[in-house]
Amino acid sequence: MNAALGHTGVLLGLVGSVAGAGVVVYGLVRRRPSSLRAGQIYAGLILLGAVVATVAMERALVTHDFSIAFVAENNSRSTPLLYTITGMWSALAGSILLWALVLSGYIAAMVWRFRRQAADALVGWATLVTYMVAAFFFALMAGPADPFQTVSGHVPVNGLGPNVLLQDNPLVAFHPPLLYLGLVGFTIPFAFAVASLVTGRIGEGWQVATRRWTLFAWAFLTVGVLLGAWWSYQVLGWGGFWGWDPVENASVLPWLCATAYLHSVMVQERRGLLRVWNLSLVISTFSLTILGTFLTRSGVIESVHAFSDSDIGGLLLGFFGVVVVGGVGLIAWRGDRLRSPGGIDSPFSREGAFLLNNLLFVLLAVIVLLGTVFPLLYEAFEHQQVTVGAPYFDALTLPIGLALLVLMAIGPALPWRKATAGTLRERLVVPAGVGVLVAVVSVIAGVRGIGAVLAFCLGGFAAASNVRQLVLAARGAHRHGVGAWRGLVGRANGGMVVHIGVVVIAVALAAATSLGHRAEVTLSPGETTTVDGQHITFEKLVVVTSPARTATEALVLVNGHGPYRPAVSQYGTNTEPVGTPAIDSNILHDVYLTVDSLPSSSGGPVGIGVTVQPLVTWLWVGGAILVLGSVLAAVPGRRRRPTDPVSAPVPAVADGNGAGRGRPGDDDDEPVASDDVVPPVTVPVGDLEDGRADERVPAGSP
Amino acid sequence: MRPRPGLRASSGLVWMALAVVLAVALVFGVSSGRGPLTASQRAEAIDSVLKCPSCDGISVADSSASTAAAVRQVVLARVREGQSDTQIEQYLETRYGPSILLRPPTTGLTAVVWVVPLLAGAGGIGGLGLFFWRRRRPLEVRVTPEDRALVDRVLAAHEHGAAGQPAPPRR
Amino acid sequence: MTVAATPGTAPPVDPGDAGPSPGTAGARRGRHTARWTAGGVLLVIAALVALLATRPPATATEVATPLLGKPAPSVSGTTLSGGRFGPSAYRGRWVVVNFSASWCPPCQQEQPALVAFAYHHRAPGDAVLVGVVYDDSTSSARAFASSSGATWPSVVDPGGQIALRYGVRGPPETFVISPSGTVVAHLDGAVTTADLDDQIAAAHAAGL
Repeated sequence: MNAALGHTGVLLGLVGSVAGAGVVVYGLVRRRPSSLRAGQIYAGLILLGAVVATVAMERALVTHDFSIAFVAENNSRSTPLLYTITGMWSALAGSILLWALVLSGYIAAMVWRFRRQAADALVGWATLVTYMVAAFFFALMAGPADPFQTVSGHVPVNGLGPNVLLQDNPLVAFHPPLLYLGLVGFTIPFAFAVASLVTGRIGEGWQVATRRWTLFAWAFLTVGVLLGAWWSYQVLGWGGFWGWDPVENASVLPWLCATAYLHSVMVQERRGLLRVWNLSLVISTFSLTILGTFLTRSGVIESVHAFSDSDIGGLLLGFFGVVVVGGVGLIAWRGDRLRSPGGIDSPFSREGAFLLNNLLFVLLAVIVLLGTVFPLLYEAFEHQQVTVGAPYFDALTLPIGLALLVLMAIGPALPWRKATAGTLRERLVVPAGVGVLVAVVSVIAGVRGIGAVLAFCLGGFAAASNVRQLVLAARGAHRHGVGAWRGLVGRANGGMVVHIGVVVIAVALAAATSLGHRAEVTLSPGETTTVDGQHITFEKLVVVTSPARTATEALVLVNGHGPYRPAVSQYGTNTEPVGTPAIDSNILHDVYLTVDSLPSSSGGPVGIGVTVQPLVTWLWVGGAILVLGSVLAAVPGRRRRPTDPVSAPVPAVADGNGAGRGRPGDDDDEPVASDDVVPPVTVPVGDLEDGRADERVPAGSP
Repeated sequence: MRPRPGLRASSGLVWMALAVVLAVALVFGVSSGRGPLTASQRAEAIDSVLKCPSCDGISVADSSASTAAAVRQVVLARVREGQSDTQIEQYLETRYGPSILLRPPTTGLTAVVWVVPLLAGAGGIGGLGLFFWRRRRPLEVRVTPEDRALVDRVLAAHEHGAAGQPAPPRR
Repeated sequence: MTVAATPGTAPPVDPGDAGPSPGTAGARRGRHTARWTAGGVLLVIAALVALLATRPPATATEVATPLLGKPAPSVSGTTLSGGRFGPSAYRGRWVVVNFSASWCPPCQQEQPALVAFAYHHRAPGDAVLVGVVYDDSTSSARAFASSSGATWPSVVDPGGQIALRYGVRGPPETFVISPSGTVVAHLDGAVTTADLDDQIAAAHAAGL
């Protein structure tokens, strides 16, 4: 019954997306708005199909319906309810179902959001693209990755249960769905990018209109990645949070491109430049999500995170190829003709800073992709295995990270179009002072190593510069009578808060890695030792049995409180025991405990691994600030008068152009007035003469 | 931040002072407290570039697996004997193959992973530099009377909210 | 590879020497930056896809041990039954060194095959089977050996040093060593009796 329901849902989704695509194609080819509008309805059908299939799967899991192979492999009668529910995405076929569910949700939201422009061919093309992507994923489920495949032979009495590492921490309920909300969310901007290229209507502001969708998806992806790091930290037992594992890298690649895009799209909003480049970034982001999906699921790369190898790898790779050829092909076909006229005046300006930002992020993406794929390349040629691990990535990303910190400090203070050294000197002197102060304090506190000291120094610099922007914005908002809180919301100000979050993460990382200490201590019951100023007392060993798990726990006191229970656990009888760590976190440092060796006789000494790392909690606090910033950035600002000047007046053109305030750099000190720019009303001279309808802003766009 | 006249005049000096203090802090931070590395520090440094043979990409320093413990033991013993980092890494390569090293060697085909990012970075900066160099001529915008008339028309329409003008869309 | 990844190309921003009428005409006259960049990117992606498409699954790739053809590290130490074991016990004969543990399912699976192999070669005495305990407590290893009917000596490996010298990444791993002391074969995973006999025969034929 569950299998039938599930198959019905999948079929519904597949038929809905294929039929919907067909109707939309008909409407586009025959130019029939009625067909286009009818095509939108199929989004509801797709969503219905996905929901039905998900309900069927969850029902099968919760009722332990072992006639379905997926449930038999990933669930057992002794699995707790939470891990039963999350079992849906703990293996391959179910994860595709989750992907399809999230995608259907996004498509339905998109269709709803743009329902009043349903008759517009551009929206039609975007809808068509999303339907085709949905059709692909539903087709995967209808065929090779069928989550509702029934067990051949007799139905087993009990299932195998989920992977041991996926049932000892509640974060499994958050990390994958949030990650998918991020990765899948990039489909919508991609669809609009393709639609813009196909219809040639690049200048209209559709890209800017979908910017908020990209921000939304980016925020979820960031949260998903951070939660993944936190989960790794709590579960995997090696005391680190980021291992440059291929699957981790796969999720970070689209993040890098999306971050680059979120910055350079601001240049497009302000100056109408970099249009084709932004389209390329959006297409890259989506392509990388598909590549990431392939890397995770094809079995080509070995990783603790990877799903078992399967035959959908070839299909995913093929889909990746189609997406890239299509997207890049569109750029090749249309890109040169649709470039914006007008240019960037000076590298020493905010546009220049954004260009440099893009270069650095793209370079990071190149490094991460190369490092991830290189072992495969090497094996193909030399028939030998080579590893590209954390030391490689750390060595290369550290200087780029430091450069990005510098940009984060200087960028917000740079005016548009052209800056002078004097302007920057005045604006940044206090933040620079803060940075140097932080550097001195950190060196006194014992930080050593040029990377770490610079990280602290530049972090302080960047934080102070961004705080300065917020203070100015709040003051300006207050002066304009709209309330000082206005200085904290909106695109620019939310961005400042996001930067502050990033700085907190960077500084916490620098502190944890450079000031951390690790030791392995052997303690008899009742014995105490000191590691890096922390008193570690081992009390005794306790064996804890529950239906799913048998654990040998070591009760450890840290500085007298606890007890913390690092353990060696075994799930089921025939699996290798896994170590589970215990962590004593407070605001200043984390004490990370693992059981390294069990005594050979009872009452004997236990080997305990102790890692003391400062400021680890601030990593997660920084993440929270980052997310807060993206929420703030999504708040719409006041609608700005299009005729307000946006940048420091350039001397040659500065006459009579509505320059109400004459002092250079003034406008940039009051970002509250700079949010909510209406797109191409401030078009470069000449476009309107062309008679192209392009530059009309679509009515009713967000 | 409205610069006070006095501050503006001396901001150059302030920057120089900051630079000097930073340089001193950096020199301190890089050099002091370093000293010669003890055997266990050297061993830990080597451990962090060796892959735990039975794990998925974690270093020997981080892993609690038995193979990692065995490697740590061997590394420490050889460090105490006085072998160099390269010698120890090479010995382990003869046991486990080149995949035991987490940092790909800079010679041979693996040099590609080091060279390509450097080339890409240099190329990117060079490309940007070239792009801006070519655009060095200021973009000459000649303001014609027609342009002024156009601007006046648009300004008037927005200032007075003329009927029939499409409403600017909500963001 | 991202569209944006090609180095050395500025983002396609400006139409170049557009002349006095910037607009469609000027943009068309400009450099075909987008076309060239796109072409380059497509080439790189095609290479990447070709590479990825031809990779075998990671779990199926054999790590060629660097020990092949080299002198075998010596196996010596205390056995589970308390006796001493050293190279003198196997000099001049074919040796099969088997690393296993009681907690690993493939090790459990291959036990019958090993028992059969030991039995077949006991009489002729041409091949010797030696077990090495991999990351296991002595009591568990003893129980495992007796319950599976192991008749060959199993050497305790304190600190995993023998496993390290053989470059063992995870049990079960089996090495076949010729009478001259050279490693001739490395089998990763559960073995069958036929596997072992075939390897010995092949190496014998090759004159090793």
